[in-house]
Amino acid sequence: MSKKPTAGPALHKVIMVGSGGVGKSALTLQFMYDEFVEDYEPTKADSYRKKVVLDGEEVQIDILDTAGQEDYAAIRDNYFRSGEGFLCVFSITDDESFQATQEFREQILRVKNDESIPFLLVGNKCDLNDKRKVPLNECQVRAQQWSVPYVETSAKTRENVDKVFFDLIRDISSRKKQRQMDVKEPAKPSPCCQLL
Amino acid sequence: MDFDSPEEKDFPGLYASEAIDSKSKKSKEESDFSEGDHDKHSKKDLLIGRRKDKKDKGKDRGYAALEGESSPEEELDTKSPSKSKKSKTFKFTSSKSKEKREKSRDKDKEPKALEEEPSQKAKEKEREKEKDRHHDDKEHKKKDKERKEKDKKDKFEKKDKKDKKSKQLQQEDASEVEEVLALGYPIFGVSISLATERSRCHDGIDLPLVVRDCIDFLQQEQSLKCDHIYKVEPIKTRLLHYKRLYNNRDNDASVDDIPTACSLLKLFLRELPEPVLTTDLVARFEEVASHPKVTDQQTELQQLLEQLPKCNRTLLSWILLHFDAVIQQERYNKLNAQSLAMLLSPTLQMSHRLMVVLLCHCTNLFPDVKLIKYVPPLTSSSPGLPDNPEDIKTELRKQDSLLTQIHSEMNAGFITKKREEQLWEVQRIITQLKRKLRSCEKKQEKSIDELEHTTSAPPAPAPASQPAAQPTEQKPPTTNQSTVTAPIVSEDTIDSVPTHTVTSLQQHDETNIATSPPPIEYTVDKQTGYLLLSKSNPQRDDLLRLQIEYDELMNWQNELKTRILAERNEIFRMKQLYEQELLKAQAAPTISQEQLPAEGDYERIIEHYTRENSLLEHKKQMLGMEIKEERRACIALQVELRMQEF
Repeated sequence: MSKKPTAGPALHKVIMVGSGGVGKSALTLQFMYDEFVEDYEPTKADSYRKKVVLDGEEVQIDILDTAGQEDYAAIRDNYFRSGEGFLCVFSITDDESFQATQEFREQILRVKNDESIPFLLVGNKCDLNDKRKVPLNECQVRAQQWSVPYVETSAKTRENVDKVFFDLIRDISSRKKQRQMDVKEPAKPSPCCQLL
Repeated sequence: MDFDSPEEKDFPGLYASEAIDSKSKKSKEESDFSEGDHDKHSKKDLLIGRRKDKKDKGKDRGYAALEGESSPEEELDTKSPSKSKKSKTFKFTSSKSKEKREKSRDKDKEPKALEEEPSQKAKEKEREKEKDRHHDDKEHKKKDKERKEKDKKDKFEKKDKKDKKSKQLQQEDASEVEEVLALGYPIFGVSISLATERSRCHDGIDLPLVVRDCIDFLQQEQSLKCDHIYKVEPIKTRLLHYKRLYNNRDNDASVDDIPTACSLLKLFLRELPEPVLTTDLVARFEEVASHPKVTDQQTELQQLLEQLPKCNRTLLSWILLHFDAVIQQERYNKLNAQSLAMLLSPTLQMSHRLMVVLLCHCTNLFPDVKLIKYVPPLTSSSPGLPDNPEDIKTELRKQDSLLTQIHSEMNAGFITKKREEQLWEVQRIITQLKRKLRSCEKKQEKSIDELEHTTSAPPAPAPASQPAAQPTEQKPPTTNQSTVTAPIVSEDTIDSVPTHTVTSLQQHDETNIATSPPPIEYTVDKQTGYLLLSKSNPQRDDLLRLQIEYDELMNWQNELKTRILAERNEIFRMKQLYEQELLKAQAAPTISQEQLPAEGDYERIIEHYTRENSLLEHKKQMLGMEIKEERRACIALQVELRMQEF
């Protein structure tokens, strides 16, 4: 992986998770193509690639839009394993979807075995604030527990759509750079010792 | 995807005589992605790696090392719990000739090899012996057997390894992990169904990819006509290189020389744990082959073929039709049925006579099998996605098949970085294809809508010209959907009531609202869904006539629509063909600079053809009109005919 970025633009792999019907695909399509799809069609799995400019640097983002339904849980692990960052989406108008985020978080941590994996808690459908079922502070408390950021979005109005994706890939990118530094730094002392 | 024990149907009755526990053991062994299987293969692969290390010592050792990847017969042997069972299964799976060879060459070794728990020292000795023999023996004929022997020994060693777990071996374990991952699930040396499952052709034809690739390559005209086909031995290292590639699913570049392709195909067939015709049925096939009456043979073969597992039948049909194509080119490659059978019947583990018989009947036995060249699923490096909806759908099916295979292999623990990358890539292609298909469908819907408006215009005057004083809501052709559904709905509502008898008339307000304020008595014909007014009603016939006519016209319209679609597809296909030809033409500049006619002649010819063409065009239009008229008359008659039914 560390070799690849030198060849082309860095590639970051983002995975959308969350219950069915919370708007994972809607967010993805809004981000990818600036389109909002009204009609609901359950996703099995979809994957997209887009070139974006992140802080002046061109990077590629691979987005995997997963199925919310349990029926496809069997293939989920295969995707989670290769994901580098996660957007955990729920609908602020649906408390169950909020409760389900707990499970998704656990599943991801189990597969990735890494507490600090880049991760955003995303409350979607914030344009439907009048139908809100999940209180804002409850969301914030959960995000705090997990020590992840919490962002409310609307795939319909495009509010914060770019923000969640960019925040996430920024996180992924900085983590990767950190890793590279970590690899380089311990490498330095050894030649020193040899010289001594 | 279901990877569970395919042997149950593949080898029916194979284990009938054995205890259930051994059966379950076997099933575990055979079932593809079970942990145990993986483990087993890993161990085996370790050994391969190890042998490779020793390779440099002996000249011909490398050959043996590469060859001896897997031989299920031995797997059977080592796995079977008791001595007697071992020998039984062994006999079962090996052909008679092999057995004979084995016996004559190895009388003293056989029992030793089959001993239950020989001490390690003894095994070490055996291995040394075996090695020595490798040095001495360079004959290709014997390689098979030797490989097996060696494998057997390796297996025993493996057992010991498990028991002892010496330091050295553990170290090796660690160093060979990479290779283990790649070699976990071989294609060669496993049952046909497993090989097919593990390396699918994603276009729905159940053949192992290696077989398909070889046949595809050999089916090219220049290969079929080449007199090297099935005669020349390939470069051994090349052959083994390709075997390894296929076993590792690394086959980006498929075989590109004839001897290697032939031998790879033969190698695959030879390493099958049981004959393509199955151990159960092969004897009966042989019986049929010795049948004196050729005409009876075919039906009997047909019956036997029905009993073969599906993947065996597919494999058999493809190789036979391919061989048939080879002997069709006898003029060039000097191979006829007799000589080809001489070369290949041992590989197929059947008699010369049987192979000749099969070759003689193969085109009749498999009339609907066509050797289609395999086009693998697209990758991100492919030039572009297809545009035609049908092509997109085909491609989607392929990609889905590929995705399923990736998932099931990953679920089984066959995970590499490359696999993960491939998973995302395939997923991305699928998403793109789906989006493209959706936009195509939208476009098509639009054009069909337009089509509907234009095509429904001509038939419209016909019903209007009829003496129709009827409530016309029933059949304006333009709003076909509502009218088509309307009768069905009313049928449903009436279904519960006896409606055959015209005398028992029912009143249905909800449907009558549409027709007219005074309630009209009618029934619905069960078969056709037509509204039937009471016999006393003077408009009964008119209504019926109109309904029938409407039906007929709708049929016509549908027929025309499908034809239009077919023509469109044809246009698309021809366009593609044209582009291809254009490219070809560009690649090879025109050589045909034949005698050009004089300038005047040229013009005259052009003029002649333009005139002729316009004449033909006119004629065609007239004929088209005529067809339309005839069709109208047909419909009118049809309507009258059907009127009689009521």
